[in-house]
Amino acid sequence: MDALSDQPELAGTLELVWRQACTSFPAGRVDEWIAACREVAQRLGSNAALAFIRNSPSVATVAGADAALALAAAAPEIAARCGANAVQSLFNAAPLAARRLASAQGFAEWLRVIGIVASKAPESLTLLLDRSERILAKMDVRGFESWALGGIRTAENDPEHRLKFFALLDAKAVQAMERDLDDVQFADVERELKAYGVALWRMAPPIRTLAAGAVDQPRRATFDSGIIRVPETFRGFGGEGAKAIFRAALTHILAHLQFTPGKFPIGSLKPVQIALVSLIEDARVEQLAMARFPGLRRLWLPFHTASAAGAVTAPALMARLSRALIDRDYADDNGWVRKGREMFFADPARWPDAVMSRTIGSLLGNDLGQMRAQFNAKTYAVEPPYRDDNQGLWDYGDAARSDGDTIYESVRFESESDATPDRDRETEGDQAGNDSANRAKPVEADEEVGIPVARYPEWDYLIARERIEWTTVVEYDPPEGQAQRIGAILEGYPALVHRITALVRAAKVSRPLRLKRQPEGDRLDLEASIDAAIDRRLALTPSPNVYARLERRFRDLSVLLLLDASQSTNDVVKGAGKTVLELERDATALLAQAMDGLNDPFAIHAFCSEARENVHYYRIKDFHAPYGVGARCRLAGLTGRFSTRMGAALRHAGHELARQMSYRRLLLMISDGEPSDIDIADRRYLVEDARRAVLGLRHIGIDVFCVGLDAGGDNYLTRIFGRSNVVQVDRVEKLPEKLSLLYFRLTA
Amino acid sequence: MDLGDYRIDEEPYYRAIGDEVRLYEAAYADRMPVMLKGPTGCGKTRFVEYMAWRLKKPLVTVACHEDMTASDLVGRFLLDAQGTVWHDGPLTIAVRHGAICYLDEIVEARQDTTVVIHPLTDDRRILPLEKKGELVHAHRDFQLVISYNPGYQSVLKDLKESTKQRFGALDFGYPPATIEAEIVAHEAGIDRARAEQLVGIGQRSRNLKGHGLDEGASTRMLIQAGRLMARGVSIEAACQVALVLPITDDEDIRGALTAAIAACV
Repeated sequence: MDALSDQPELAGTLELVWRQACTSFPAGRVDEWIAACREVAQRLGSNAALAFIRNSPSVATVAGADAALALAAAAPEIAARCGANAVQSLFNAAPLAARRLASAQGFAEWLRVIGIVASKAPESLTLLLDRSERILAKMDVRGFESWALGGIRTAENDPEHRLKFFALLDAKAVQAMERDLDDVQFADVERELKAYGVALWRMAPPIRTLAAGAVDQPRRATFDSGIIRVPETFRGFGGEGAKAIFRAALTHILAHLQFTPGKFPIGSLKPVQIALVSLIEDARVEQLAMARFPGLRRLWLPFHTASAAGAVTAPALMARLSRALIDRDYADDNGWVRKGREMFFADPARWPDAVMSRTIGSLLGNDLGQMRAQFNAKTYAVEPPYRDDNQGLWDYGDAARSDGDTIYESVRFESESDATPDRDRETEGDQAGNDSANRAKPVEADEEVGIPVARYPEWDYLIARERIEWTTVVEYDPPEGQAQRIGAILEGYPALVHRITALVRAAKVSRPLRLKRQPEGDRLDLEASIDAAIDRRLALTPSPNVYARLERRFRDLSVLLLLDASQSTNDVVKGAGKTVLELERDATALLAQAMDGLNDPFAIHAFCSEARENVHYYRIKDFHAPYGVGARCRLAGLTGRFSTRMGAALRHAGHELARQMSYRRLLLMISDGEPSDIDIADRRYLVEDARRAVLGLRHIGIDVFCVGLDAGGDNYLTRIFGRSNVVQVDRVEKLPEKLSLLYFRLTA
Repeated sequence: MDLGDYRIDEEPYYRAIGDEVRLYEAAYADRMPVMLKGPTGCGKTRFVEYMAWRLKKPLVTVACHEDMTASDLVGRFLLDAQGTVWHDGPLTIAVRHGAICYLDEIVEARQDTTVVIHPLTDDRRILPLEKKGELVHAHRDFQLVISYNPGYQSVLKDLKESTKQRFGALDFGYPPATIEAEIVAHEAGIDRARAEQLVGIGQRSRNLKGHGLDEGASTRMLIQAGRLMARGVSIEAACQVALVLPITDDEDIRGALTAAIAACV
């Protein structure tokens, strides 16, 4: 105790930590430590020495005396490169790091990394040290090293950038923290896992990744209202292990979706009871799933690593109980664990009923409470890590969940093949400023400014003449919606998308056409040759056309898809639960996908009309524009209103199409009703005009085809387009399916 | 001409699912042309063989393909030592001698080829051989059977309405699980329990139809897997060889199928 008595300012602190130091350092080494303290004081000043004295015993406790001494040895160099503040931070961070790493080796590694950073990025060392604990909470020392070195590499010669990185102000830094080099991301295994879910349960719920937020708790997958969210990576699981845990997590949640009947009301349950009811429910659905698919036991069992030894804390006991419920060979003496096991396995006939989870879970929760086992709801993380966080099991009523992840795009369309009754429709979370994308609320006319672009004549059948320059086509900027909606639409028709992709593939490899009876070719046409031989025997002149040829016809066509966007498209279609316009949009999204894949030049336009002076025309996609985010936004934002002045729209579209230089030009129109307009009373007038327009287009070599959605439309549609150029879709909900297939047929 | 080669002497194993045997017999009694519809590997060809055996009629089978011409069905002149000689095609043989003619996967053939069967499928039951100048009247035992897989080809390659309407149709699909297990157990020579496992695996793969696979595993594939198992191959390996590897090349789908198989055993 007389050590350092020559330095009174240190002696006080020394006295405070003396007892701890004596327990941490083995008897012979206390003197070494004091010498080190003295050295630090001498070379780095008394502030540094104080910090060292205060913190090094803790380091020694966990990582050993050598670690503490190494710390002192490393300090001067760090001070030289990075300054006195860095040394302070070093000494303050050291015990925290030591505790996290819990081993001498780990601490030595950590110190080494600090040394590297000190030499390569001295300006950032303090930032790193201050955050070192937080980083080590998420990864081991190897991850720490790769993260830190990654940061240095990202900003090789840019100290400012490095500072941002190490201050964790850079988003990439945070992301990199979430992800170790070896970690497999969900996106890498997503497709396979989705197929796996379909194969096992015929379920393909939407799966999203959890946003990489600054959530310090270990991540778990979660589900709610039929949407599954998984972490981007599972820490510490790389390579094949990652696929296994993702698969285990997904299968576990699918088991919930299959066997958990609905949300449990919270009632008066305490947090520990909630956790236990969730645990029993997890075990219950897993047992039911394993009864169906025995191999799932081999999928889940390896993750249950709880052992009967160790501290008797609530989380530990719960992990042991989880294991006891799934692992038949696991032995556990703890009374509470055994009780839980007995209750669970008492009556397997009850397993199909979720009530048992609540009963058993509340009882066990009560017991835990009485055992005074510490349960901290805030820090509790479900173990093993493949299990979900159980948020989706509970009905919290009005209590808002602190989600951290914004539910940004979550419109769900019921897919045809795998609708299960419990799943609700989810509405778009972010609707601000874009009401018109969802409902066809008429927007005030003076909000839009259109540009009159052309005047077209109109045919008056009563006088059998065209009135020149009678209609005006005004082009408006189409309202924009959310491009993700198109992606969501495509997700709603997985079977159809798959089929279309296959058709696209088949159509692209242009089908070879066998041309027979050719004067030249690379093979003999057998029929023609035989005929020629017969003719020769009959002393007739044989025809020289005895060859056959394979020719590949390439696709050379342009297509303009013209959508009727009038008020009548806002009618809801019975049986589909969607409006006509929404079905038109779905169908167009699918078709656009196909046309994009085929590389056919295509355009998508829409029209409606407000009297002859104002025929609205919307360009969703033009011929030479790519089918990109802009086009998708405009398609998503399409709304229906006003009337249908078909002739003018046809002429304008035809004018556009005529400029295409392809061999074949196709105008494909989708209409749900009779041509009509507010200033025309005579029902026949616009029909005759439309017919005239179609004839005009055909005259210049444009094929016009119509898909009709109106059940009674046969008479006027065939009058306008001709019998062989109309397809009636009598069940409008079939439109998405039929439109794409029709397209392939038309353009084969 | 002796159609001995075309006769079926031994009873082919066929497990009836519904009343298809009775319906076919009724159709045959009137010599109604029959269309068997269903995915590949579901027992259509086996069914025709069984019915041919049962009715004690010869069976002429033609596998249709894109390159097939009408002459391939009907016949053509060929040159041999004696000169130009007419040779009957398989369809004409069946028509003349009263066999059942089975056109398998008729959708593969081009439409100008398939119209050749039209005069045979209505009341006239005649087959004009224009090149020969002969009109063949069908033997009274003749019947035409076609098989048709209404799958992905059907948009671009489909039977004409006029063709379809001439036939009565029987639907073939994957049998219900218990019956399928019985079939697999019998044909593969394995016990019922393992056959049931295979059938469960088959159902998993059929769930992926439209979600990565064009078709799930057919009953035939399950039988192949069972046969491997009867030789001592483990179920996982047998399913890899007979199901997963042939059905898709896509790594993700293969992985999903392998994992699904692991879940079932």
